[in-house]
Amino acid sequence: MENMANKVARIPNLVDWSTGEVRLMSAKCNSCGTYFFPREHYQHRPGCSREGVENVLLPRRGKLASYTVQYYPCPAPFKTEQKITPYGIGLVEFENEKIQVAGIITNTDLKTLQLGMEMETTILDMYVNEEKQQVVTWAFQAVK
Amino acid sequence: MRDVYIIGTGIHPWTGFSETVFADFAAVAVDGALKDANIEWRRIQAIMAGIFIYGGNAGHLSGQYLESIFGETGVPVVNVYNACATGSAAIRMAYNSVAAGETETALAFGADVSPKGFLTAKSDNAVQDRDVIRWKMGGMPNPIYWALECRKRMAKYGTTEEDLALVKVLMSEYGAKNPHARFKKTYSLEEVLKSVYVCDPLRLYEICPVSTGAAAVIVTADKELIAKADKPVKINATTMGSAIYGDPTIRISALSCPAVPEAPMLSESYSASRQAYEKAGVGPEDIDVLELPDNSSWHYLVYLETCGFCKEGEADKMLRDGETKIGGKLPVNPSGGFSSHGEALSAQALWQVIECANQLRGRCGERQVQGAKVAMAQTYGLMGNSGTTILSI
Repeated sequence: MENMANKVARIPNLVDWSTGEVRLMSAKCNSCGTYFFPREHYQHRPGCSREGVENVLLPRRGKLASYTVQYYPCPAPFKTEQKITPYGIGLVEFENEKIQVAGIITNTDLKTLQLGMEMETTILDMYVNEEKQQVVTWAFQAVK
Repeated sequence: MRDVYIIGTGIHPWTGFSETVFADFAAVAVDGALKDANIEWRRIQAIMAGIFIYGGNAGHLSGQYLESIFGETGVPVVNVYNACATGSAAIRMAYNSVAAGETETALAFGADVSPKGFLTAKSDNAVQDRDVIRWKMGGMPNPIYWALECRKRMAKYGTTEEDLALVKVLMSEYGAKNPHARFKKTYSLEEVLKSVYVCDPLRLYEICPVSTGAAAVIVTADKELIAKADKPVKINATTMGSAIYGDPTIRISALSCPAVPEAPMLSESYSASRQAYEKAGVGPEDIDVLELPDNSSWHYLVYLETCGFCKEGEADKMLRDGETKIGGKLPVNPSGGFSSHGEALSAQALWQVIECANQLRGRCGERQVQGAKVAMAQTYGLMGNSGTTILSI
């Protein structure tokens, strides 16, 4: 993995690379079994006691459940110094967790996108902030 | 609960960005509704106002600002926001107030001035505002969500790019005949298919833009006012629905969705429409004209299924077979739909109700659905908001 020391997520508690691989920061409700992303975007089953919600990391890899290619630059407050447009957005399914998560597709030839293909979580450099840190977001790329 | 009738409606025609104060647009619609109902302002006993979310203090208290234009009378004024189903919430409250006997005559209105460019996050606070992350880190404007669902639909049911384009062809044909519509140009299938992709598979002409517009509806149970109204329209049901756990749809502003469905898609609209059918004592087969929220061509197709007009995956065939045309089995969006109007958040649900009322009152000229007796207006709002109104004459 590239040097991540000077990288910071634009908004915290969404993507983690402290374990040596990039993974999304989810939470699981041990009462109703539902996974949430982002963690605080609760979606409990009606009647759930809401007890025992624990922070978990999603697996790095999942399958492409849907995608689109965005042909115009995303307006502010989106911000990037990279020329990413047109860019892909994927909906990646984590089968055991029964959740699909959306994110920008990077490092992937958009013409090769196919439903069901294996994707892995990564990060995308967006811009350098005033503290000279590289600000990043989570993203998905095709497994090579 | 007693019977409630629509006796007056008013619209400010849909248009683009404007520097005019939103309440002035609202006043045009309310003036129209008062004139149509043939009543004076003092007969309004409650004001249910759609919040204009981009209008700051004035927009959040839109009912008070409107009241001050017409003259403050001390009546209850309630301001409500349910995203694009805001107008549904306003008419539902007006209906409930009158049906319960709290008031005799009530006004529901909404007015929205399009923000320049795109609808984006309304705050900068990622902790409080769930909408911020998808903008700052997701790069996900609203049409992305529709494109992700549309791609799934194409894979599952074989919806084609021609089907998506055909929706626009039909909507543009009807919009051209509607004086309230913002876009009046007609398009051929080839022209739509040549328009650029906004987010593949959805093209520029297959997605509705944001607009400016205002709409107002006066409802009453006052027998004298009903008797003197021009073709009063009965409200058989006006309902709101929210989402159901396990709905697989990725909702606008969310970043995830369930992978294993345990509820119908667009479950908020499923909920609202089923409540309305039950309350009105009618089914989809009884609807003579339908206004559905065609925010994109995908919506047009999926809403026919969500609201029970056909089975899942059969909407494309209904469209191709001409069943949804004026003169077909179920005329859909004779107004030209959102495709010809664009979204004016707090006003659009009321505008749909007014189109339905106008169809039942035989006021629609070239786009008239002949002999329509029962009409249905269906809305769609982000994060699990929906409303259904069923009207009859």
